[in-house]
Amino acid sequence: MRRSARALVWLLVPVAALAATPDLAQSLIVGMGQTPPAETPFIQVSYRAVLDRPLIASGTLRWLGGERLERDTTEPFQETARLGDGELTVQRGPGRVHRIALARAPQAAALLTGFSALLSGDAAGLERDFTLSATGDAAHWVITLAPRTRELQQRIASIVVDGRGHAPDCLVLHDANGDATFTLMGTLAKAGLKDAAPAQAALAARCQAGP
Amino acid sequence: MNHATRIALWFVWLAVIAATGFWVARHLTINSDLRDFVPPPQSADQRLLLDEIGNGPGSRLLLLALSGAPQARLADLSRGLDAALAEDPAFVRVANGSADLANIAPDLLPYRYLLSPTLDAHRFDAPYLRAQLQQRLEDLNSPAASLLEPWLRSDPTLETLKLAQRWAPQHPPRTFDGVWFSDRGEALLVAETRAAGFDPGAQAAAITSLQKHFAALPGAAAVHLVISGPGWFGMQAARHTRAEADRFGAITTVGFVLLLLIAYRSVVPVLVTALPLLSGAVAGFALLALVFGYAHGITVAFGFTLLGVAQEYPLRVFSHRRVGVPTLTCVRELWPLLATAITSVCIAYLAFLASGVVGLQQLAVFTIGGLVVAGACTRWLLPRVIPPARRDMAATPGLARAWRFLAQLPRPRWLPWLVGAVGIVVVALAPGRFWQDDLSALTPVPKAELARDARLRAALGAPDVRYLLVLRAASEQGVLALSERMAPHLRRLVVRHALDGFELPSRYLPSIATQRARQARLPDRATLDAALAQALEGLPFRAGVFAPFVADVEAARKLPPLTPRHFETSALGARLEAMLVPCAGPPRGRRGEAGNEKPCWAGLGTLSGVNDPAAFAVLAQDTRGAVHLLDLKASTEALIVAYRQRILVALGVAALLLAGAVTLALRSPRRALNVLGPMTLATLWVLAVLRAAGIPLSLFHLVSLTLAAGLGLHYALFFERRTGNSAEDLRTLHATLVCVASALLVFGVLALSSVPVLRAIGLTVALGVAFHFTLSVLMAPAGHLRREA
Repeated sequence: MRRSARALVWLLVPVAALAATPDLAQSLIVGMGQTPPAETPFIQVSYRAVLDRPLIASGTLRWLGGERLERDTTEPFQETARLGDGELTVQRGPGRVHRIALARAPQAAALLTGFSALLSGDAAGLERDFTLSATGDAAHWVITLAPRTRELQQRIASIVVDGRGHAPDCLVLHDANGDATFTLMGTLAKAGLKDAAPAQAALAARCQAGP
Repeated sequence: MNHATRIALWFVWLAVIAATGFWVARHLTINSDLRDFVPPPQSADQRLLLDEIGNGPGSRLLLLALSGAPQARLADLSRGLDAALAEDPAFVRVANGSADLANIAPDLLPYRYLLSPTLDAHRFDAPYLRAQLQQRLEDLNSPAASLLEPWLRSDPTLETLKLAQRWAPQHPPRTFDGVWFSDRGEALLVAETRAAGFDPGAQAAAITSLQKHFAALPGAAAVHLVISGPGWFGMQAARHTRAEADRFGAITTVGFVLLLLIAYRSVVPVLVTALPLLSGAVAGFALLALVFGYAHGITVAFGFTLLGVAQEYPLRVFSHRRVGVPTLTCVRELWPLLATAITSVCIAYLAFLASGVVGLQQLAVFTIGGLVVAGACTRWLLPRVIPPARRDMAATPGLARAWRFLAQLPRPRWLPWLVGAVGIVVVALAPGRFWQDDLSALTPVPKAELARDARLRAALGAPDVRYLLVLRAASEQGVLALSERMAPHLRRLVVRHALDGFELPSRYLPSIATQRARQARLPDRATLDAALAQALEGLPFRAGVFAPFVADVEAARKLPPLTPRHFETSALGARLEAMLVPCAGPPRGRRGEAGNEKPCWAGLGTLSGVNDPAAFAVLAQDTRGAVHLLDLKASTEALIVAYRQRILVALGVAALLLAGAVTLALRSPRRALNVLGPMTLATLWVLAVLRAAGIPLSLFHLVSLTLAAGLGLHYALFFERRTGNSAEDLRTLHATLVCVASALLVFGVLALSSVPVLRAIGLTVALGVAFHFTLSVLMAPAGHLRREA
């Protein structure tokens, strides 16, 4: 599972960050060369302005190879979301498949861009859209992606990835409107949530502390 | 007249032609709208066809496919082309799959509760709202949450999304990177031109503009752009026909020049022979510009063909000149006969003036004006420009022998009867269709292009160009209500695979009655507040989040229903406008139809993949004809039939007028018969050969037959002439041989064309010239030719 989770790091951790911090780059790049499919459990906690408590969902994240990613949600409902080929498809239960062009869903597209840029080693491609910075060491690193373009800035404030060694633990997508979506992965996801409705600050601390 | 004066006059003549031509080019608009060239519509469907459908949906669609690069590149180009065409006024709409309809029509959003069918089946009560809000929570958990969030507060039941889906194509192609792709990996787009489908000129302009936009996109050079659709086919056909006509024109020009050099052994004819015809043509155009202000493209094509007889006038002059006699004197001797020919033909064309069809009236004005001017130039200008004759054509080697040969041919009295009987029998008994009313058969689209069009059309779910569903009612609201009633019936037809898809006007705008019914089902503020409070119990939504929703519902309760006029001002307005048309309103444009019938509106439903046209008969029966399937191909052909009948009547009257004019000019019925007999039989024989070869006749054949008859009139008139002078007879033969040879050369080459319309003209005229000449010789009055032998 650790190896699988490492594969998913390429979805989330920009190669350009490796260039900025070469030591980290070396240690992270070891995880490359995975063969798809690779998968990890996830727990997603979203904090939204329209809601008075966080929404929690969990399931499995899968890298299908190439520029394709699948998210199988099992709790609290059945949903399969696929990212790739320029679109996002969502199928809830046995219902019909909804298709959404990634061009219209920048948050989802940003995830995929990072992923594909990493796989193809296209740091420059990622740097077109994001400013990258990395801190920490192999024991705990944090990579932050800040959108460059005004268009993206209107939707996304930042993406922050916490990780240890070759594996990411936690990805936080901060929307421009203040909403935040935490995705816990690997061991952190396996460990589960201690609180049915964790406060945002508590969850952020947990991402920092690690499993 | 000395040499310098002649050259000066020649230049002046050229200059006047050029100046007139220049003036014409600036003042005469060439119109390619079929509506000006066909007779006034007889049936309501024909009127709809001409007045509206030319501007209607299916025929204005261009299907585009980009290929030859990785999909991501093609997607970029598709977006680039989409953006460029959206700015181009030649296009009403363009779609490549990337459109976010909810963003396109913000002005319609307040009306969403009146436009969306949700309230037909549901009420905004607590159970429905709770079910909806629970779904929204699931939506917020999905990766698409960010898309939804901006709408959530004001539109928790997602009516906006439902409308966007309702207005999106029903069977869209698969998308990649947000734009449509075919199974073969081509990026697909649909563009709708502003110009009518019947207007090939404007269609070609739009296509050229489209190609320019595409070429300007970065990296477009490596990518292959395929265009398909009626506009493209029309443009290709016109281009192909023109290219072939130009190619053959070049060949025949060289041949014609050689022929003139051989026949007259002088360069003078080469320099001046075209001038009378050119003068006639520019004069004809100038007349059209003055009288009508515009000319139809087909008028120009037909008119030029008919004006071809004028090419003979200068040739006659060259053949009849004598050494030592001023050219003017020779022309003066020749003139009575030429004048007879010109006047007779012009009188005959008067019949077209009375046809009541603008296109035919234009044809008459152009041809009569052109022939008179070409004749006048030949009579008064040409002799003053050419130097005196240096040789007598009567002395041409071999000519006397040819004369003797022709004179010795047997001329049995029964020959005309036999020729006539055989002609009639063949024309009457030959199997096969007599008429070709499918004009597109004359400019066929290559099979590969048709197959590609069908493939793209299916992939895009684009509407069929042949069939339309017509819904008639006394008012726009009546049409919309009818359209609402028909939708379930059509859905049943789709289930039964009688058709693949449909789009009715009510898809965009429900009738006011339906909108009012939905409005009546919207709860008042207090009721909605209570239902919402009950629905939200236990859900994690913050208090007061849905205040904008409550306010919008309250506003929608008080909105005046959306009218077609109002809807047409929206971003989607053009689509409704094309689908909702007055069918017996005041006459449009130049058409002289009275519009004093009761008010009538027509809804035009587009259909895709009509597999079983017969299945629509039920709809027509159930609605007593208010709804019926319109077969555009059949209706167009019916129009062509009506048009052809008008032409036939005009030609019949023209023939009578011609006979009268010739009889009057020759002052003898017997002599007139000598002229008209061969003409009639030769025309009959051309018909017989075409029929025997299984070639159905089109309008182009009719026009060509008329040109051939005009030429035949010359042959017969000149052979009939009594000169009492064998040298003059030899000159007549020389002139006729040169005329026949040049006509056979020009039209015989055209008969080899791969374009059916050019082949039709070439074959008919070439056959006609051959028969007219042969019969003129064989039926020349007894003793007339023989006397000299």
